[in-house]
Amino acid sequence: MTFLDIRGVSKSFGNVAAVSDVSLEIARGEFMTFLGPSGSGKSTTLYMIAGFFEPTGGDIRLDGRSILAEPSNRRNIGMVFQRYTLFPHLSVAENVAFPLRVRRRSGAEVSRKVEEMLALVRLERFADRMPAQLSGGQQQRVALARALAYDPPLLLMDEPLSALDKKLREEIQAEIRRIHRETGVTILYVTHDQEEALSLSDRVALFNHGRIEQVGKGRDLYDAPHTRFVAGFVGHSNFLDCTIAARRDVRADIVFPDGSGCADIPLHAAASSGTAARLMIRPDRLQLAAPVPAAGPGIDTTLSDATFIGETFHFAVTTGWGAQVNVRLPAGAPMAHEPVIGERVRLSWNAADARLFAD
Amino acid sequence: MTVTDATTSTAPHAPSASSRRAARGFAPVTPALALVVFVFVLPVLALLLRSVLEPQPGLQNYEAFFASTTYLKVLGNTFLVAGTVTVVTVLLGFPVAWFLAIAPGFWSRLLFAIVILSMWTNLLARTYAWMVLLQRTGIINRTLIDLGLISGPLPLINNLVGVTIGMTYIMLPFMILPLHATIRSIDPTVFQAAALCGASRWQAFTRVMLPLTASGIAAGALMVFVMSLGYFITPALLGGTSNMMLAELIAQLVQSLLDWGLAGAAALILLTITLAIYLVQLRFFGFGQARS
Repeated sequence: MTFLDIRGVSKSFGNVAAVSDVSLEIARGEFMTFLGPSGSGKSTTLYMIAGFFEPTGGDIRLDGRSILAEPSNRRNIGMVFQRYTLFPHLSVAENVAFPLRVRRRSGAEVSRKVEEMLALVRLERFADRMPAQLSGGQQQRVALARALAYDPPLLLMDEPLSALDKKLREEIQAEIRRIHRETGVTILYVTHDQEEALSLSDRVALFNHGRIEQVGKGRDLYDAPHTRFVAGFVGHSNFLDCTIAARRDVRADIVFPDGSGCADIPLHAAASSGTAARLMIRPDRLQLAAPVPAAGPGIDTTLSDATFIGETFHFAVTTGWGAQVNVRLPAGAPMAHEPVIGERVRLSWNAADARLFAD
Repeated sequence: MTVTDATTSTAPHAPSASSRRAARGFAPVTPALALVVFVFVLPVLALLLRSVLEPQPGLQNYEAFFASTTYLKVLGNTFLVAGTVTVVTVLLGFPVAWFLAIAPGFWSRLLFAIVILSMWTNLLARTYAWMVLLQRTGIINRTLIDLGLISGPLPLINNLVGVTIGMTYIMLPFMILPLHATIRSIDPTVFQAAALCGASRWQAFTRVMLPLTASGIAAGALMVFVMSLGYFITPALLGGTSNMMLAELIAQLVQSLLDWGLAGAAALILLTITLAIYLVQLRFFGFGQARS
């Protein structure tokens, strides 16, 4: 079942560990994204799969065979780079034909495949243009066609859209999704843009400091982050300082700095009673109500800011101990009473939506 | 839209403003231009005139040049040496230029300093140094004899071999510098892309590196070939009297035989060939700038 098997791979540059003990199994046809801040080791891992870096430890297996001994040009892997890497002296068609020509395919096969690939990225009319005559988005689509021309079982993409503007990015994201559906190629995609990661991939591996913090569907990373880093990197989040008052298994009761408390919060760390922790709640999982005692978990706050931005209301509330919490409510949702700035409001949430991380 | 508007609105003033700018731009060039005209263009014209006027008006000097097997052999020698020097400087210069472009800072700076320093050293000193190295009892012959590789000294000097060796060394920087500039302008990621596309090192070299550096090679080759065609000092010192090059012949015609007419004809022939090569170069590679 496992198609690409990354086993305990490490890479150090001198004394600096860029990737430490990364393991990951990717299924055939899967769209996997490496997400993380710059310097988190995601690109380094990709480059080791491409053969540009040699791992200092571990193994990389493709279809059951280790590929580490093979040089880049024998790995039969496709790649689209961050920068435009079309061959500037070759036309669009000749760029796409390049991998076939170095494989000494017949002329008829080359022209058939070039035509097919240019149709796939919808650039048939540009076959005779030179790369310098294309826009950035078109150049990356040609690069995609070139990377797929030899039917590689694995396609690597290293932040291919980072040089493009937002509108073009969304357009090409849709193209990539369509091409993934049509070709069934296994894609490994590197990005630091979490929206891009969530919208494109089947699964996301979140990198931090050369390690994978969490692997899962975008929804899992958003709803059930395992670490504070994941919670902070994927989506918007509020972190509230608190102290663990009592702990039972994977749940804990907490006390906020003003003495108010909450019970039964899911806990993702080995933290004992009395230690400092942070409560994480997504801005869109909070409710605002008039300050009446309610059954669920919640705290009393003061409304400090309110902004209407079309689809959503953005509220900022201040807790009794001075921390600020962001709340996002859909503008269409019924609100019994629209609060005004300075008013006391009750901030509440479902117990299942809160996460507790040790400091 | 706004750009078009701006252009049309300023268009009436544009010619006078630009011609004023052009005039201001030309002013500082005038002394150099005058120097070129008086010291280069006029003497060359005078020499060319003498080639068709002395000893009497007509083309007899050119007829004499092309009728003489000796002179044609000199022309042949000139092309043979210039061609060999060009090919060898490309072959030797390419790896050096490539190393300069990719080597870590210290090593590339060191190599660069060596290349530049050799250019800055006096030409005569460098040519005499080669005489010391290449002569019958020089270091090269001695070492080869001591190693038992040859029984007697090789004739490395006073022939075209010596001229070619000395000129290759002198011309190398003129190949390395433009080639280095071209190689450095290439984004190294295209070679990673070529590798993942399945290209072997050799295929990446022939299908990507060479086409992308062709303009640099052409610029360096033109410079080396043209400079070699008219080179005097090195052939005069390292060459033999039996294998003369064209510049030596012109010097001899003027200094020893006082045949200004024939010397002028030889000079014009050299100039014509040089210009023809330059035009061919322009036709294929523009002004020697990298295509992008």
